Amino acid sequence: MIPMRRHSQYMRHAALVGVSAIMLLPFYWVLKTAVTNENIYAYPPRLLPESPHLFNFVDVWYFIPFPRYLLNSLVVSVLVVASNVVFNAMAAYALTKNFPGKRAMLLLFLSCMLIPFQATIIPAYLITSKLGLLNSYLGLAFPLLSTIVCIFVFKAAFEAVPQSLVDAARIDGLSEGRIILRVLMPLSTAAVATNVVLAFIWSWNAFLWPLIITREPTMQTLPLGLARFLSYMEDTTGALYAFAVMVLAPSIFVFLMAQKEFIRGLTSGATKG
Amino acid sequence: MPRWIMSRWVIVPLVIAGFALTWNGYVALNDGGRIEGRVVDASGRPVPDATVILLERHFVVHNERQRTRTDSEGRFRFAGNGNHSLQLEAETDSLGRSERRIVRLWFRAQNITLSEPLRFNAKLP
Repeated sequence: MIPMRRHSQYMRHAALVGVSAIMLLPFYWVLKTAVTNENIYAYPPRLLPESPHLFNFVDVWYFIPFPRYLLNSLVVSVLVVASNVVFNAMAAYALTKNFPGKRAMLLLFLSCMLIPFQATIIPAYLITSKLGLLNSYLGLAFPLLSTIVCIFVFKAAFEAVPQSLVDAARIDGLSEGRIILRVLMPLSTAAVATNVVLAFIWSWNAFLWPLIITREPTMQTLPLGLARFLSYMEDTTGALYAFAVMVLAPSIFVFLMAQKEFIRGLTSGATKG
Repeated sequence: MPRWIMSRWVIVPLVIAGFALTWNGYVALNDGGRIEGRVVDASGRPVPDATVILLERHFVVHNERQRTRTDSEGRFRFAGNGNHSLQLEAETDSLGRSERRIVRLWFRAQNITLSEPLRFNAKLP
């Protein structure tokens, strides 16, 4: 019986390893192309890199101001993530309360989700301009400081917390802000993790808005840098893929470092009664 | 020892910071922009008084940056290089042009001595 169970376990693990390998293959291909100058359309494709080197990374570092782009992207992403967690939690807490016009407010939020960002980009630009935030970090982060999808993520998580806990905290003398911070947020780690991941990905990948509001190359972010790099280095696939690896590396690194917390946060919400 | 010191959130950034500091120290000690090498003919004899051209990569093209001449032992030396992607070529009236050598550096202005000499396809008379 035991060998039978062990055998099925081996099979399961072998299947998982196979699926993982298939899923990681595109990443491997990007990495392999980054350390060679191989044509990605070459046939038959080579699985192993031939005479790998790291000079494509050196090219990326020096041909464009990569450290500056990285810093800009990091600053904007930190601003977006922090403000999303704070503002969305506050908005979501308000939406869990009953107040006149709540239904209209929810409908307004939901209908706003239907409007694509491209349709509102001119008013967004004009507002940012009037506020004097063009070509600034705050301006770059401005449209993503709070996102409706993430407000609803928080709202759903807050509504799952028993009202008696909130009432008990209020009887103990906690202010509304402290109720969010001390009671609701610790019980909504899955929502916090979702907010952090989504806000980070959206701001890290944003292209159109930074393209419109930046005036100087020193304020550009990594996606704009990638477009600029493409226009300069049209013949070097290796350098382009090296750029992609360097853009991906920080987020993968942060994810691997925080993997345990992310998984715990995402699964605790799913298994709680 | 406090437990937080052994956290991966402390150890990994410290290791990265240590690596970055070491690398920057190495760069600071080796960024004189010096390029040295030799020029030989097809039989391996040094070629004196050959013109050596240093070309610098500028995105997709290579532009000539400096020229120098080899000494009686076929040695040459460039100073003040500020690029990381180069090409070197030698030429004389009698031997024509040598192969063009691609030189990739790990950082701008890295001091380097070519391990293999620039070689002409023809022999000296």
